[in-house]
Amino acid sequence: MAHFFHSQGPPLYRFQVKKKNYEFIEHTADLCIRVKAGNLSALFKNAALAVFEIIATPKKREKTSRKKLRINQEADNLEELFINWLNELLSLSSAKGLIFDDFKIEKLDDHHLKAQAFAGDMKNYEVNTEIKAATYHELKIAQIDSGWQAEVILDV
Amino acid sequence: MAGAWQGPLEKIDDYRFRIPKSYKPGMRVPGLIYTDEKLLKDIREDKAMEQVANVAFLPGIVENSLAMPDIHWGYGFCIGGVAATDIENGGVISPGGVGFDINCGVRLLKTELEYDEIKDKLKDLVCRLFSDVPSGVGSKGDIRVGQKEEKEILVKGSRWAVEKGFGTQADLECTEEYGAMEGADPDAVSDRAYERGKAQSGTLGSGNHFLEIQAIDQLYDRDLCDVFGFRLGQITIMIHSGSRGLGYQICDEYTQSMIHCLQKYSINVPDKQLACAPVNSAEGKAYLGAMKCAANYAWANRQCLMHLTRQGFEKIFGLSWQKLGMELIYDVAHNIAKIEKHQVGGKEKKLCVHRKGATRSLPAGHPALPERYKKIGQPVIIPGDMGRNSYLLVGAEKAAETFFSACHGAGRLKSRTQASKSINLNALLKDLESKGIIVKASGRGTIVEEAPQVYKDVNEVVDVVHNAGLARRVCRMRPLGVIKG
Repeated sequence: MAHFFHSQGPPLYRFQVKKKNYEFIEHTADLCIRVKAGNLSALFKNAALAVFEIIATPKKREKTSRKKLRINQEADNLEELFINWLNELLSLSSAKGLIFDDFKIEKLDDHHLKAQAFAGDMKNYEVNTEIKAATYHELKIAQIDSGWQAEVILDV
Repeated sequence: MAGAWQGPLEKIDDYRFRIPKSYKPGMRVPGLIYTDEKLLKDIREDKAMEQVANVAFLPGIVENSLAMPDIHWGYGFCIGGVAATDIENGGVISPGGVGFDINCGVRLLKTELEYDEIKDKLKDLVCRLFSDVPSGVGSKGDIRVGQKEEKEILVKGSRWAVEKGFGTQADLECTEEYGAMEGADPDAVSDRAYERGKAQSGTLGSGNHFLEIQAIDQLYDRDLCDVFGFRLGQITIMIHSGSRGLGYQICDEYTQSMIHCLQKYSINVPDKQLACAPVNSAEGKAYLGAMKCAANYAWANRQCLMHLTRQGFEKIFGLSWQKLGMELIYDVAHNIAKIEKHQVGGKEKKLCVHRKGATRSLPAGHPALPERYKKIGQPVIIPGDMGRNSYLLVGAEKAAETFFSACHGAGRLKSRTQASKSINLNALLKDLESKGIIVKASGRGTIVEEAPQVYKDVNEVVDVVHNAGLARRVCRMRPLGVIKG
């Protein structure tokens, strides 16, 4: 009997490679990533880049039509701000059919985030994985010698 | 790996193990895990047991924080978890106890076809269904509705689909809650949630969601099989999907708002993903009203998916679905919270029962059952992985001790990262091919991540459920054609 696929598909071993700014940690059902950055703004940016790198890969190297969205978030603390940031991006991505691939963090403290998010149309991407949301379970955001580190479990 | 769980576990009998209430200060009830010694070895390998203990912190929780034999590590609740809270006694509702995919569930259809009648058409059939049933990440369906009609879906659930001509009255009788929970409140659903849900009616989704053509390969209870009209070699179809982006958005928004409730109602839980509010509070009521909308959306979605499947079969066989005998056996939710009446300490109590990766399992005679299943109990549908088996069981009396709940599937054993490292796609496909299984998926990665070896053996899981008396085995199916997102 034959097996067949709809498309060329994503890279097969996408969860085993250590990426530039993040790595995968074992979790039975979902995906856990550890993200590092030199400062807090870069940590937020790298976490978002990691999430969308897991979700999709561009079909073409050159960037096609671009959209810019403004993101404003408020929260009681840094952890909530981090989760809200990722979940707002996931929500916008799904609602608007966009894949984010760059971010400019304009303002960030423990309670506020102001950013610009840049995206391409989802149809220009090979979408590999659905991430439903980022979760609080075992969430860790901490300062380390080289800057900042976050560990977050993503529901897939 | 997470490291093996070292907490205390008391063996009650061959199929029940207890985490004593004394394990962690703050636990209001013990943890109770339905499993056996063999499955327990793997269960101890991650943090699922710790999550069972954490759920025991929920205000108003009664009797036990329960876990089914397909238990594995989730976020907040373990997957395979059941928790009931006493509404009149400060009992809470937690969006994390339902999950992002609200009313993720599964339905089983029968056909009057035999394996020999479809084996030469299987490839065409799988291709047809893959083309007609939208699947994959962010897939959009042909069934497009405006916001006004979407509101109607959120209230009417499967009935909306049936009124559109996508099914029959009999389908509604064979759906948990008759395909719609009462009390759905469309005003509790945000514009963003509507936006995420609007293009996704009638779509399968991705990940572990699937549409599967199966053949019955084992009959366990001849009398029950006769009631269902099941025989060896008969073709069945299973559909596994949920509420898509609409449910994720509702869970996310209400988790956010309920984190604030922890302080407001002085609730102490060890994990923010267990954020909750009293069922009777404004926040609890709003979440319940929104959750019901997503649940109804999911039932409408599976009804539409079944309609597309029936149409696909009609095209291939040139006969109407009625002639092909494509009747719905039942549709169950396995990520949901429900207000139900149960006996607690000899008294009837109104409880909020969270089933996070668990299936309702009502015994014969239960008043919530439709007439056709009153004598035999509720069909309990347990999907396995794409290489082994799936099961049909019926609810049993002893499930009273789990608030009438049983397992929901095989349960994951290996992570996606482990799967990517250890499973070779070509070897996997060869193995499936040798078993006569056709797989068609939107992405190659999905096949590796959903390979049979990343799941527990569903046969062992169902053995525990049957032997512990939570549900009775009726028959077993093996996969023939699998469509994955």
